[in-house]
Amino acid sequence: MLLATRLALAAPRIAARGIEASEFVAEAERHGVRSVPAIVVDDRYAWAGSVPEAVFVERLLAAS
Amino acid sequence: MSLGERDQAAIREAFDDLEQDVEVTLELGPSATPVTLLAAGGRELDTSAITRELVEAVCGLGDRVWLRVVEHEQAGKWPRTTIAGPSGTGLVYLGMPAGYELTTLVGAIVESGRAESTLTATTLDRLATLERDVAIDVFVTPT
Repeated sequence: MLLATRLALAAPRIAARGIEASEFVAEAERHGVRSVPAIVVDDRYAWAGSVPEAVFVERLLAAS
Repeated sequence: MSLGERDQAAIREAFDDLEQDVEVTLELGPSATPVTLLAAGGRELDTSAITRELVEAVCGLGDRVWLRVVEHEQAGKWPRTTIAGPSGTGLVYLGMPAGYELTTLVGAIVESGRAESTLTATTLDRLATLERDVAIDVFVTPT
């Protein structure tokens, strides 16, 4: 989550949201979230699990 | 849901290092709207009331943290906490920032209060290549 925050602060084109999955169950189910952290990019499920900064950025750019 | 003395001391210490002001906007829905949470053992909780208590307690621990509370009459995706520094919004958090997610709230304030990014030069170079808007949603749970 904090990495997404850092990215949003550094890049005006990036917006980061954290969503508490047990409160927003419909949102989580809509994206097929089964484990956390789960990353959704541009409203599409991207991946689950924490990854290093460089990996996160490359996956983000590939998914966007 | 109050903060323990050790948590308060740790958060106050983290906020002492803020280099710039941070604005926290807490948006709440109608009061007394209980939400049944599996993460809370299936109990019904007034998430807006708990979030308000928690966010007010956290924000009160930093001289450079400014809290604004907005109350909405209509139902919606509340509670919503927006954390922003002078360079823009760092994080919008939907739900109660309780449990492990208290770290997310505090961490987002600390990150928004930094004068310079801690991302690597490589990351900053890659971000500079972005040509359109990107929305990242991170789904989490408090346990």
